[in-house]
Amino acid sequence: MTFAYRLAALAIAAGVAAPAIALADGKSLFNDNCSACHQVTGKGVKGAFPALAGSPLVQGDPKLLTTTVLNGRAGMPAFKDDLNDADLSAILTYVRSSWGNKASAVKPADVAKARVAAKAVAKARGLQAH
Amino acid sequence: MSPDGAARPAGDKTGGDVMSGLDAVTAGGVLTRRRFFESLAAVGGMSLVLSGMEALGFSQASATELPPELTGGAKNTKVVILGAGLAGMTAAYELSKAGYQVQVLEARSFAGGRCQTARKGFMHTDLIGNTQTCAFDEGHYINHGPWRIPYHHRSTLHYTKLFNVPLESFVNDNDAAYVYFEKGAGPLAGKPVRKGEIAADVRGYTAELVAKAASQGQLDAPLSGIDREKFIAYVVNEGRLTKDLAYKGTEGRGFSIHPGAGVDPGPGKELPPFAFKDVLDSNAWRVLSSVTGYEQQRTMLQPIGGMDQIAKGFEKQVGSMIRYGAVVEKIKQSPTGVTVSYKGADGKPAEVTADYCLCTIPLSVLKQIDVDASAPFKAAMAGVSYAPVNKIGLQMKTRFWEEKHHIYGGHVYTDMPGINSITLPSYGWQGQKGVLLGYYMFGGEAARISAKSPADRAAYAVAAGQKVFPEYAENYENAFSFCWHLAEHNLGGWAEWGENGRKESYPILCQPDGRLYLAGEHLSYLGGWQAGAIESAWQQIARIHARVQQA
Repeated sequence: MTFAYRLAALAIAAGVAAPAIALADGKSLFNDNCSACHQVTGKGVKGAFPALAGSPLVQGDPKLLTTTVLNGRAGMPAFKDDLNDADLSAILTYVRSSWGNKASAVKPADVAKARVAAKAVAKARGLQAH
Repeated sequence: MSPDGAARPAGDKTGGDVMSGLDAVTAGGVLTRRRFFESLAAVGGMSLVLSGMEALGFSQASATELPPELTGGAKNTKVVILGAGLAGMTAAYELSKAGYQVQVLEARSFAGGRCQTARKGFMHTDLIGNTQTCAFDEGHYINHGPWRIPYHHRSTLHYTKLFNVPLESFVNDNDAAYVYFEKGAGPLAGKPVRKGEIAADVRGYTAELVAKAASQGQLDAPLSGIDREKFIAYVVNEGRLTKDLAYKGTEGRGFSIHPGAGVDPGPGKELPPFAFKDVLDSNAWRVLSSVTGYEQQRTMLQPIGGMDQIAKGFEKQVGSMIRYGAVVEKIKQSPTGVTVSYKGADGKPAEVTADYCLCTIPLSVLKQIDVDASAPFKAAMAGVSYAPVNKIGLQMKTRFWEEKHHIYGGHVYTDMPGINSITLPSYGWQGQKGVLLGYYMFGGEAARISAKSPADRAAYAVAAGQKVFPEYAENYENAFSFCWHLAEHNLGGWAEWGENGRKESYPILCQPDGRLYLAGEHLSYLGGWQAGAIESAWQQIARIHARVQQA
């Protein structure tokens, strides 16, 4: 766990909003949360997990991209309960500007707005599943 | 309601406990259930039948109690079923019994879908390229897929009974199991505490507050119309309060010296209660609710020897219809039939043609297959997300949790990241070794741990368990971990429908598209449960059959 992440986690635990500045480190947050499927190279796994490098969705409308990560889509899991606005904005900014991708940054406020629009308010996960 | 009208002869005892409610109307077995409802229909029409069923506690629940009766013949109809998980094998079993020609295509070399059990020699290579071979001792196993059957999943229990799959209790709730919450505050945070102690204290202190307030007349307004004395008596009983309405602990929360023989230990020594503030600060109360959620209630069951005994039970019946190692590549429809192209176990392309196709492939996988379906149907497939899910089995050389901690099965809940719960096995009590579940994590935290190598996942799990049990690391022998989102042919533990997806996409996929029908846990409100797969299959084969009858 990175120091930045730990700070963010502390902020959540303490019930205070994470600082809106880009404290979070997009690269290590991506490697932590996303790389199991999309790989640290952003190339994904053929036939299973789409490549983010060169992806039109990743470099397109940031609102659609944000909503996809918050609520999941087409098999992609929902991360609304796991990533706060600051962390998600850092991750999205990282994937939109890495591996040859060239798209604008996503601000925490943009994520917050998308979260409200997509009814993707984070809630505590239950202890039991199936 | 099931297609056969949910009516069965009263002598058919497969309905289990529901039958008892019928005794009043089946005196002497003269009035059967079917005849009873038929007579209601004759007098008052279908609405009276429904309300009569409601009154007897049947209603819609009975729709999922038994498979549909597919009477009237199969008219030489052929159905190709994609996937030999529980949905696919349920359909294959029931359709073939009704006379249908059935061909099942299964991508893996074994049947069961997610109904898998890892034991010695079980091999798994994930999509990242991690290969593991399970090295548990003979007789030990981990159910890395489904692992428990609620008592009310009558569809699953229908087949375990039918196929003679013996069951045993799965301990889903254990007062002696620890709660270990690090993120709370106070002296109980970061300390393993038995669940029963937390339950006794938080409920006892709450009862004390309520009882005192009520006895002093402070609750008279909210208690209007309720017998105050009876209410106080209930609260005293609930919280195990003293005569002066105080909570001073209770023997049920345990002893520091257990009661025994003679005068020493004699009566033993009760453990004193924790302070109310400490219990509240610890967060450990989060594991408690007034009643367990419907899907988690006792009695919980498991097949003896591993969950895959259910898959094997089905396979015995339908194995000859399954083509293994067949990876579906394309589903094509015409006005008269369906053609499925696949890559065979020999790597060569092949085809199956049938009148109908029942596809049980998870939507996470199906959306990447070339499917000949309408645009709305295909768009609806994108309306679902799939849960990342991790489990890890850890073989321990002694059952220290039983011997040293007196915990026989059940879950240790924790807020340690990536762990969620540690579960002690419900099989093989008092044996030498045991395999416990080192974590059962879902969601984003599961995605995080799954990026680690199998060796690192095991090290992570062992380090976490060591915080709860001092004997953990020294007893650890080997591990088998599974990440469902990294499993080819699954790409996720279970379907998760958001509010919008359930409203807009789900109903579309529950309907056939031409001659293509979908089934599986993802097309039920029992998502992630085997019962969802079975009941979804029941529903769809009833639809196919009705269509065949009409044609």
